[in-house]
Amino acid sequence: MTRLLRKTTGADAGTDEEAPDAVGDDRQPEAPQATEKDDKAAANKDEAADGSGEDGDGTGSADRDGTGPAVSTRRFTPAWRKSALAVVLIVLLLGGGWFFHTAHQLRSTPSARNQALTDTGSTTRVSGDVAEGLARVFSYTPAETDAAERSARTVLSGRAARQYSDLLAQVRANLVEQRITLSTQAVRTGVIELDGDSARLLVFLDQTSRRDKAAASTAAAQLTVTAKYQGDRWLIVDIKAR
Amino acid sequence: MKRAQALGVAALVVALGFCGTGAWTYAQARTDEELAFGRERDTALAEGRNRITVLNTLDASTRERAAAGIRAWRDASTGPLRTELGRTEATVGASARATVTEAALTALDVRAGTAKLIATVRVDVTPRGAATATTDRKRLEAVLTRTGENTWRVAALSAVPVAGAEKGEEGGDE
Repeated sequence: MTRLLRKTTGADAGTDEEAPDAVGDDRQPEAPQATEKDDKAAANKDEAADGSGEDGDGTGSADRDGTGPAVSTRRFTPAWRKSALAVVLIVLLLGGGWFFHTAHQLRSTPSARNQALTDTGSTTRVSGDVAEGLARVFSYTPAETDAAERSARTVLSGRAARQYSDLLAQVRANLVEQRITLSTQAVRTGVIELDGDSARLLVFLDQTSRRDKAAASTAAAQLTVTAKYQGDRWLIVDIKAR
Repeated sequence: MKRAQALGVAALVVALGFCGTGAWTYAQARTDEELAFGRERDTALAEGRNRITVLNTLDASTRERAAAGIRAWRDASTGPLRTELGRTEATVGASARATVTEAALTALDVRAGTAKLIATVRVDVTPRGAATATTDRKRLEAVLTRTGENTWRVAALSAVPVAGAEKGEEGGDE
């Protein structure tokens, strides 16, 4: 504001001293320069506060009258600059927003959330826990069905636990009567999906059953297993035969 | 006036910063190796599923169709398996239609362009002239090789044998 006042007086002085030739010629180019700044200041002031703009307006219009058409184009400049700034700002904000949004989308696709094989540690862990758990609950001797059921409680949960106890209730009598020994081994384990504390796996099992002292027979089983990370290990919550 | 100008400059700087950070975040995500690995994994799995479906399917109702099926086998395979399948004679016989019921990758080497895949497949086999199909379930293991961008082909395919009953089996030999 002090600058504005100084310039204004300078400009006034210029117009007052128009008579002296040499000095006037020198000052001449300074006058419009000052007017331009005045103009800008006036415009800014107008926007900043409507009430206080009157003073600036007065000088501004007076100067404009004095310099004629040259200023009318300059009069356009501040507004133009302002809209240019607004456009640039909008473009930058929109661009930035688009970048952030797209980056977020890239990172939150199902493919990105699926950590199967990308997180090798967790992938190995869940494969190991599930393979070992399946081998444990589907391996039993006639004398140890209770042990199998107990270990099932530490390996299975939810629907899988219910499925298992139903199954065991059905076959228990036969197991004991026919002295069937079952041993199960996971031969291939593949993690289909791993997202945080939940995983889906495809497991190939070999199940060898032996009836009393007869020859053993081996059958193949393919399961899709859903596992949840609970406490400190992966629990099997659902089993589907494939 | 000075305040308004400073405000304008500040807004510009903030907006530039915002846009710049956004661009950087985007560039990070675009070039993220883990994300690229995940995309490659999904591509390999999807491609593998399709290839295995093709390799276990054959319409052998006529000689021409059988020949077309064998061409499809060759297109789905690469390396030794392709050579082997190329020797298959197109004859009229039983037809098979395969569906991959579940599949998972067990290993993936992005740099080498190799992957291992296990899959359970249901195959409906229709003997020549018969109307009804018999259903067979298989468990297969395949080695995939990347042969181009987003293109994976089967380099080896075998049934996962049951312990004690060792028996190798080729894909599409119905």
